[in-house]
Amino acid sequence: MVDGLTVTYGGKPALEDVSYTAPPGGLVAVVGPNGAGKSTFIKAVMGQVSATAGEIALFGKSARSNRSVVGYVPQRTSVDWDFPVSALDVVTMGLYRRIGWLWPVRAKHRRQAFGYLDRMGLADYADRQIGQLSGGQQQRVFLARALAQDADLYLMDEPLAGVDAKTERTIIGVLQDLKDEGRSVFVVHHDLRTVPEYFDHLMLLNTRLVAAGPMSETFTVANLQQTYGGHMAVLPGGATAVVD
Amino acid sequence: MAEIVRLLSSYNTAVVLLAATLLGAAGAVAGTFALLHKRSLVSDAIGHAALPGIAGGFLVALAFGFDGRNLAILLSGAALSGALATVMISWIASQTRLSEDTAIATALAVFFGLGAVLLSVVQSLQVSGQAGLDSFLLGTTAAISAREAGTIAVMALLVALVGLGLFKEFRLLTFDAAFAGAMGYPVRALDLGLMALLLLVVALGLKTVGLILIVAIVILPPAAARFWTDRLGAMTALAALFGAGAGAVGAGASAVLDDLPTGGAIVMTAGALLLISLVAAPRRGLVAQGVVAARFRLARRREARARSGQGLGQGLGQGSGQGTGEGRARP
Amino acid sequence: MTVLPLSALAAAARSVAVAALVTLLCTTVVGAQEPAEKPRVVATIAQIGEPLARIAGDALRVTSLMGPGVDPHLYRPTRSDILALTRADLIVWTGQTLESKMAGAIRRLGRRSAQVALIDHLPPERLLQDADNKRDPHLWMDVGLWRTALGAGVAALVRLAPDEADAIRARADAYFAELGALDAYVSQVMAGVPERRRVLITAHDAFAYFGRAYQIQVEGVQGTSTETEAGLKDIERLVRLIVERDLAAVFAETSVSDRNVTALIEGAAARGHDVVLGGKLFSDAMGEPGTYLGTYVGMLDHNGTTIARALGGAPPEGGFGAWRQGSEAAAPGAAPAGARSAGPPAGPSATPSAEAATQETPPF
Repeated sequence: MVDGLTVTYGGKPALEDVSYTAPPGGLVAVVGPNGAGKSTFIKAVMGQVSATAGEIALFGKSARSNRSVVGYVPQRTSVDWDFPVSALDVVTMGLYRRIGWLWPVRAKHRRQAFGYLDRMGLADYADRQIGQLSGGQQQRVFLARALAQDADLYLMDEPLAGVDAKTERTIIGVLQDLKDEGRSVFVVHHDLRTVPEYFDHLMLLNTRLVAAGPMSETFTVANLQQTYGGHMAVLPGGATAVVD
Repeated sequence: MAEIVRLLSSYNTAVVLLAATLLGAAGAVAGTFALLHKRSLVSDAIGHAALPGIAGGFLVALAFGFDGRNLAILLSGAALSGALATVMISWIASQTRLSEDTAIATALAVFFGLGAVLLSVVQSLQVSGQAGLDSFLLGTTAAISAREAGTIAVMALLVALVGLGLFKEFRLLTFDAAFAGAMGYPVRALDLGLMALLLLVVALGLKTVGLILIVAIVILPPAAARFWTDRLGAMTALAALFGAGAGAVGAGASAVLDDLPTGGAIVMTAGALLLISLVAAPRRGLVAQGVVAARFRLARRREARARSGQGLGQGLGQGSGQGTGEGRARP
Repeated sequence: MTVLPLSALAAAARSVAVAALVTLLCTTVVGAQEPAEKPRVVATIAQIGEPLARIAGDALRVTSLMGPGVDPHLYRPTRSDILALTRADLIVWTGQTLESKMAGAIRRLGRRSAQVALIDHLPPERLLQDADNKRDPHLWMDVGLWRTALGAGVAALVRLAPDEADAIRARADAYFAELGALDAYVSQVMAGVPERRRVLITAHDAFAYFGRAYQIQVEGVQGTSTETEAGLKDIERLVRLIVERDLAAVFAETSVSDRNVTALIEGAAARGHDVVLGGKLFSDAMGEPGTYLGTYVGMLDHNGTTIARALGGAPPEGGFGAWRQGSEAAAPGAAPAGARSAGPPAGPSATPSAEAATQETPPF
């Protein structure tokens, strides 16, 4: 899917020569230290950032022409929380492409969107303005929106950051559903403890691709040490701690 | 009352009323998206940036042998320099370390200064027909002709159609442009479309309220509407209503009262609407928030008193629940 | 993406500023070192400059700052204007309420050279107040009044070039005699307008003195200064006036936008009244320099003739010039009466009245 992808920011490479093919029906964790280029990877696959070298192909076509089938869940902070939209309005946005240019949003679309909200456990909050929700709830709204897109490929940038345990479980449940439906899901994830438990494939990034593949093969101490460099310590008992 | 109706239905007033109302509504629709996109000041910059375009248009027209006051040429010049200003703003903001509001201020100042210089050149050219270029600064609302009102009506219709047709796309773009891009929408094209709407409104509003005040027509009604609702659709509709209302009331007041310049009256009405909304809107207005805060404090006091009353038992009696409870019982 | 180092920019800006300053100093110094020749007189508006230039002849150099079509209420002095004012030996202007944006500069510079504000040299009782209780500065609209005002300018010219005093005074006398004839002419043609139609509607209130001198009601859409915006109520009131008094024409001005006047015409048309644009008057500015309309005489001639004709009077074809020839032919050598008069001036004027009889314009 990506081949020799290289992205440079102002002379310094954020990603260098990354090649990987996504498995259909896989939950891939994208892991690495800060500044390793994880967000850049996501943005490059989406075509938001242009690649200095290398190719990106989604389902056989280049990234730019195929953006409509990519579901995207951004990091939470990039939105104006005071914007006059409700949770339901936001989820409905995921349906816009399917509604088509110039057609208005109808009641049936709202009902569809409501279904996705319900799946995330937010049925009671449908009419709340987006800024009035808690952090975890906001995250779930954006996820619901992504679900509404009905995409075959999902890219998520730290969807589990700063959410409580219950929300985390809900989100993971949804990710599992997506995998079972045969979709590919890439998730930038920070918490090494839960990586092997939640995901079945792994990409270790530190500007270069350190290792990638099924979780059991890739999640090794050696790989992790190579990814995190001096930032990692092995504690007695075999547990690892990452010090950034 | 009958007198007022008679005054308002007379020809000139009717024409100006119609034009001002439609312009107010259209401006508010375009302005809603500008406001939410944090582009309020950009509309001010576009207005000011129109000045060199107007003066330049005059000079170009003269050079080619046209009457310098050909309105089409002047407005095209205005739109062109307004567009250049937006390009400059986005270039500065994205390519240099300067923040967006610095970019806006720079463009505004540079273009307006250039415009002042060009006006001075025109002034020194010793040609007649340059009279009235200055009127673009503050507008000549009271003298709107039937033809101009017609143009404004067409423009308002265009803005309404585009705004309605692309409503959800604009909503998405203003809320989360990154997601819009991910969904496959041509974000740059849509953004340009929004800017084009804004330019259209500003160009046509120049003759009416002038470039110094056009930002008021575009931004004040949506700002006022924001206080009343949390839904974008309702906000846009309300903004259009406020804009139309400001236009109508301003024009009407200028027809009924003495010595009231029409452009200024419209802007003051829009400002008054904003002020009222700021204070009186339910939930988001100052009064409402004050009431909520006061009620909250009152509830806490009662709660504290109730707790102190229970804790001390009835032994103390004598209204220990009033007044004194507050000082003591702070759990 | 490179950001220019700030220090380089600052250095560049500094050198540019220094260069500009040096150039400015040089030109000023050089200018001051020119051999003393004719005294320089700078007038603001051409209504001052052109007559004074004629009277000064070769004795002094007279220039005007503002050209045709320029609105003195809004005129902002340019750098070359300031230069000219600085090098002038005498500045002649109208007064604060006209050249409002130049007043400060003129006063400051006039402390070094001499400055004459013509409005200050007229007896206050001959001045009119405008709606805001300020002195109305449009003095040149009353030929007699302007003649008096120019007298103060002539006195200043004489002070500057005392050797040429006699020549200057002689030219002044001749010119003022011509002004006297002009005054009589305008009075006469304006008198030919039917009583009922004696309303002059223009773009701004510049014609109050004209109205007082030549007995006609004047109304302007904008106030005495074009800095203010017109209100709808003013426009409506004037439309009603047009319809009530059955006016044939309203008038635009060369130095002001004609939008407001066009609005009046449209408004009247909507009420079924056909009022036309009677012509473009010279209100605050004159015509192209070097042409007849670029002279003060030409300006008032054009105004008086156009107004009278459009409102239903019957001025002679060829205006002032033709009238003068006619009256001179009828009474050669007789100097026309200088004072303004309500009716036709003394002296035969058979031709104009005969024309008036035949050219009685029927109501629309």
